[in-house]
Amino acid sequence: MMAKSGQSSYRDRTQEFLSVAERLKKSVPSPSNAPAPSGSNSSSAKTRSEDRKSTVAIQSEFNKRASKIGYGIHQTSQKLAKLAKLAKRTSVFDDPTLEIQELTTVIKQDITALNSAVVELQLLCNSQNESGNISSDTTSHSTTVVDNLKNRLMGTTKEFKEVLTMRTENLKVHENRRQLFSSNASKDSTNPFVRQRPLATRSAASASTSPPPPWANGSASSSQLFASKQTDGESQPLLQQQQHQQQQQMVPQQDSYMQSRAEALHNVESTIHELGNIFTQLATMVSQQGEIAIRIDENMDDTLANVDGAQSQLVRYLNSISSNRWLMIKIFFVLIVFLMIFLFFVA
Amino acid sequence: MALNLRQKQTECIARMLNLNQPVNATGTANEEVYKILIYDRFCQNILSPLIHVKDLRKHGVTLYFLIDKDRKPVHDVPAVYFVQANQQNIQRIIADASASLYDSFHLNFSSSIPRALLEDLASGTLNSDSIQRISKVHDQYLEFVTLEENLFSLAQKNCYVQLNDPKAGDREIEEIIERIVSGLFCVLATLGVVPVIRCPRGGPAEMVASALDQKLRDHLLSKNNLFSEGGNFVTSFQRPMLCIFDRNFELSVGIQHDFRYRPLVHDVLGLKLNRLSVQGEKGGMKSYELDSTDPFWVANGWLEFPEVAVEIETQLNKYKKDVDEVNKRTGGDAGAEFDGTDLIGNTKHLMNAVNSLPELTERKQVIDKHTNIATVLLGEIKERSLDSYAKKENDMMVRGGIDRSELMGVLKGKGSKMDKLRFAIMYLISSETINQPEVESVEAALRESEVDTSAFQYVKKIKSLNVSLASANSASRNNIVDWAEKLYGQSISAVTAGVKNLLSSDRQLALTRTVEALVEGKPNPEIDSYLVFDPRAPKSSSGSSHLKGPFKEAIVFMIGGGNYMEYGSLQELAKRQQPVKHVIYGTTEILTGVEFVEQLASLGQKMGLGNPGSPSTH
Repeated sequence: MMAKSGQSSYRDRTQEFLSVAERLKKSVPSPSNAPAPSGSNSSSAKTRSEDRKSTVAIQSEFNKRASKIGYGIHQTSQKLAKLAKLAKRTSVFDDPTLEIQELTTVIKQDITALNSAVVELQLLCNSQNESGNISSDTTSHSTTVVDNLKNRLMGTTKEFKEVLTMRTENLKVHENRRQLFSSNASKDSTNPFVRQRPLATRSAASASTSPPPPWANGSASSSQLFASKQTDGESQPLLQQQQHQQQQQMVPQQDSYMQSRAEALHNVESTIHELGNIFTQLATMVSQQGEIAIRIDENMDDTLANVDGAQSQLVRYLNSISSNRWLMIKIFFVLIVFLMIFLFFVA
Repeated sequence: MALNLRQKQTECIARMLNLNQPVNATGTANEEVYKILIYDRFCQNILSPLIHVKDLRKHGVTLYFLIDKDRKPVHDVPAVYFVQANQQNIQRIIADASASLYDSFHLNFSSSIPRALLEDLASGTLNSDSIQRISKVHDQYLEFVTLEENLFSLAQKNCYVQLNDPKAGDREIEEIIERIVSGLFCVLATLGVVPVIRCPRGGPAEMVASALDQKLRDHLLSKNNLFSEGGNFVTSFQRPMLCIFDRNFELSVGIQHDFRYRPLVHDVLGLKLNRLSVQGEKGGMKSYELDSTDPFWVANGWLEFPEVAVEIETQLNKYKKDVDEVNKRTGGDAGAEFDGTDLIGNTKHLMNAVNSLPELTERKQVIDKHTNIATVLLGEIKERSLDSYAKKENDMMVRGGIDRSELMGVLKGKGSKMDKLRFAIMYLISSETINQPEVESVEAALRESEVDTSAFQYVKKIKSLNVSLASANSASRNNIVDWAEKLYGQSISAVTAGVKNLLSSDRQLALTRTVEALVEGKPNPEIDSYLVFDPRAPKSSSGSSHLKGPFKEAIVFMIGGGNYMEYGSLQELAKRQQPVKHVIYGTTEILTGVEFVEQLASLGQKMGLGNPGSPSTH
């Protein structure tokens, strides 16, 4: 259903136009004897378009791909919305970890696939532009389409990252709450994060005989998180995982629940990291959008200048043509004179 | 249901960009179609304050061109045309179609395309066998420029001159009236309301009002009309009022200097379509955009200039404080002890800082922008001593006169020729009777500073005509004392003292007072003579009492040019009312004082007044 206010303020005059055309067609025989009404004309237009040069085929290929990618991005963002809804759930007992993980992988794959598709599209666009037999407007059109897709993909990726960050935050909150209700010193030792805490904190914690306040644990893990997020080295998460596994082997009597939560956290972390990679890749591709606040009339001056330039070019062309014409006439005249001389005096 | 013109028009444009397909909640089409937008000069003016390139991209517009530009073919892409319905554009569209620039043409006309042009289009495309490319033809009814939520302009140039031209024949006048009416019709169609129309008797206002009434009536006769969907119960119950005025109703507003920020920016720096170009620090021109996305502009646009300068200062200080805060939290405490909790705190702060950076830079940009504008303004004010002009003109209007020595002092003092001319005309308007020797000396002073006096002469002539017909229309004489006498029915001297004090700080325009009276709908001698048109009512039973009742929403339309001063005054009125009213202000074109005086001057020249000997003012 369209917005009510919108519907009222415009008129479709296509029918009127067509009927006018129909009437005119009857009264004035059109030069081309193809009097098909415009409805069935679309098929003839289609056949005609097939006859066109190969550039058109490339163009439609481009369009097809672009719309496919656009559709893909649309679907991904829908999935993302679902994921965000799941991740927002804060209840400790009803935690859809499995579902979230599945969705995360699916979205991750989607984004990677879309990313490569966009790169391909860009290549296609470039090759098209280099082939050179298309108009400049077509070139800028396709460039803009690619840019637009890139931007949208970028936006989706960003959103994805935000959702994941939110998820980690939520996990952390859960952890805290658990600590709060079942906290004692022994529990603390089973927490896998405690062993990963920075040396300074640990010494500080162990120096004091009393168990550290529950929030310290949570925030410690958060510091871990931030640290891993901020390091650019790709080996970092791997290393961590190895460490993590070693520690798991060393301490076999761990709480399985804790383990699963930790894994979930790590999964999310590594996903964020991977996303970071995609991000940088995209960021290099996307030229920063200077166009955000551009108004359409800002090109006016440009356009005016172009128009003036075009006019002066035309005048020059006209001049050159007319001078050429004069030259030709002169040469012709000289030739005829010589011919005359030849005919009258030599022959 | 508040009438938000800007939002409504933006919605309409978004719908048009999506090929008139349904638009979903997020404002984009369900199916992404990449397309090309083509517009003419006029429609560019409509689009540019409303929609940015970013939004165009969101709606899938990849390229946007003026229709006059030499364009190259792009295959497989639909083109959306948004143009005025005129012969030139039709010819250009036919040429584009026959050159098969694009695969399908979606034509949108800014107003209703006449049948003759439609036939031209059909025959032209038939002859070139390209009619199958025209896939849609729409009338959009968008032929007006919306600058702010409650401000629109029909962008029709020189209306005042054309309407008041002594040589203009009936035909020309009718044409202009017709243009204004169709523009107003577009506004009403976009808002989806049928208002009750009020206007003063006589003059262009009545002509426009009755023509608009007729047009609405004709349109409402057809079953499937533009207002049938919008005319549900609520809107028909609470209809807005449309008041139509003529610039002659209150001439002074067009000429006066104002000292508030928004009118000042418009009058001195020439704000145009919400855009402004000023000289930057390094000599280059800088252009800024001032619209509802600029919080500072929205919040402080109606303050007096000195207050604005203070406000900029406070904003700047606040910004600096915030930046310091961020610095302190993130990097300032490097020497602090490194322990776990602090580390955590630091990273958190760092994240916060990173997140708050875009907001801070945005604020910085806004502050910079307004600092630059204010600097340039201040330079102009100092050079032309605009503050004293504004103050003295205001005094003159309140007191109805000025000391002779003061008058001469201003005319011989600082300021551009136009400022002096405007001051002189204000003097003429404000004084009750024409004091012949004084006027002559003013004229002499103007000549001395080489000012083209034809505008002055014109106003003098009008004034003398008005004085001789003084009783005919007291409102247009614009005399506050007169008004007070009428309103309170008391002796002048008793009231004026109080009124003067009251108004010197917050003088109300005659237009605002009248609109207030009309909106309240109480019996009032000022407005009893005003005509009422109700396009919905049957013709015989006009003037029933409910049409005069209090209105919640009003559209005020000024024929012959308006400005931000009037707009500001009306918005103040709307806010002051209890409960808050909603007033939309529209005009045929937005004029600065200088532009309006130029129109007066050209009228004066047409009447054969003025002094051809003196050089022109520009």
